[in-house]
Amino acid sequence: MEKIICFFALLCIVGHAQDVNIEDKQQLQKECLQCHVEQQIPSALIYRRYLMKYSTFERMEKAIFTYIKNPDKKRSIMPSQFFLKFPMKEKTMLDDDTLQKTIKSYLNTFDVKKKLVLPQ
Amino acid sequence: MLSSEKRSLFRFLLIYLGSTFLLFSLASWIFYSSGKHHLLDKQRETIKYEAEHIKSVLRVLHQSNDAKLVYPASKVIESAIYDLDKAYIFGTFKTKQTLDNIKDKTKLYHVLKMDPYYLGAAYLLASKTIDFKPIENLQKNIILFMLGAGIFFSILGYFLGRLFVAPMRDSIEQMNHFIQDTTHELNTPISTILTNIEMIETYGKYEQSKELQRIEIASKTLSRIYEDLTYLNLNNDYYREVELVNITKLIEERMVYFSTMLQSRGITIRLELIPEKILKIDRNDGVRLIDNLLSNAIKYNKKNGTLTVKLTEESLRIIDTGIGIAQKDLKDISKRFKRANKSEGGFGIGLDIVNQVVNSYGFVLHITSQLNKGTEVEIRWKK
Repeated sequence: MEKIICFFALLCIVGHAQDVNIEDKQQLQKECLQCHVEQQIPSALIYRRYLMKYSTFERMEKAIFTYIKNPDKKRSIMPSQFFLKFPMKEKTMLDDDTLQKTIKSYLNTFDVKKKLVLPQ
Repeated sequence: MLSSEKRSLFRFLLIYLGSTFLLFSLASWIFYSSGKHHLLDKQRETIKYEAEHIKSVLRVLHQSNDAKLVYPASKVIESAIYDLDKAYIFGTFKTKQTLDNIKDKTKLYHVLKMDPYYLGAAYLLASKTIDFKPIENLQKNIILFMLGAGIFFSILGYFLGRLFVAPMRDSIEQMNHFIQDTTHELNTPISTILTNIEMIETYGKYEQSKELQRIEIASKTLSRIYEDLTYLNLNNDYYREVELVNITKLIEERMVYFSTMLQSRGITIRLELIPEKILKIDRNDGVRLIDNLLSNAIKYNKKNGTLTVKLTEESLRIIDTGIGIAQKDLKDISKRFKRANKSEGGFGIGLDIVNQVVNSYGFVLHITSQLNKGTEVEIRWKK
């Protein structure tokens, strides 16, 4: 009986986590990527630039959060010439919690660790 | 080769080879340490080279948009990348290696700091199992060199040692030749004197005068010295006819031989002999043993002193009331040419002969003495 309860509880947790992930991804798509795709701003490239500078997930998260809260050329990871072609991002209207979840989703989406494989 | 020459040669070789060995060991150790470092550095260079190669590939991968990023695994080394917080990202180690806990002494490690952080990698850890073969070869070569040098310097040392002891050997040989020649030349006149004294006593019908007594003592002393020197000279080639000898009888005979000498010095004799003590010994060795002990006890005794001879089943003890031997001299007294007191004549060979006989038959020699009170020499028979 306990086993069945545990199994269903686990199923619920996993299901809930997946729902949250899907929600976050949808949020990311709606709030970030949609515009990036429309304006042909390379999200993967931006991720790589953050990765190359900050190395860890936490540091990148912090840096992106700071930038989005107050978008500025000086705080941007992109070079100044980038803004000759692309407009400066507007200040976000998202609350901190949603923004953090969206950033995490962004980092997970483009995470290179998942792509790394050993040669066959 | 004489024993003293052997001893000197051995001591010389010990010092020479010992110091050479120490010097070569030190040099070999320094050579081995630097050689080992050089070999390890060579292997470390391979790791460094491979690490740089991985770094350059990571740079390319960082810019790649491929769905799969193939990590540049090397066939020569194992590697892993870590982020700025030293957390493991990816690598080829079978078990995840932490950066702060590198312990395996059979491996060489190299940590390459990376900036910028391609694929987020701030550190690249490269590792290779140490190839011990060149180090083992180095050890073998050093051991072979040490062996070769050891043999060479042993031979050299032996010849140098021979050169070193040559003057001493010449002096000893000269002395031995002198003793040999002297003893040979003494033999005939001594025998003539002793024979003639006996003839005078037997046929001359002279009452034994003091003068004749003195001549007899002097001749017997000379005869004994001659026999001792001959014994020492021939010691190595001397044929021993070991038989059952009645020691009690032999002591009594030798007491008669020394009677003239004992009388002239007014020495009182105390004989405490068990009857018929039989020993398995060469008769001449027995005579040499007893004669030398008695002669010393008479020579170094006080005038009108006492000489006690005690023969038991276990031992022979000869006790005199003479000048005694200082404690510091007791240890070396039985060595050849060693004389504790030079007031009396002699060559210092008496106790050396006693010692040789004692050692030949497995007896034990024990000397106790007190200055100006007397000496007790005890020979314990073999059990």
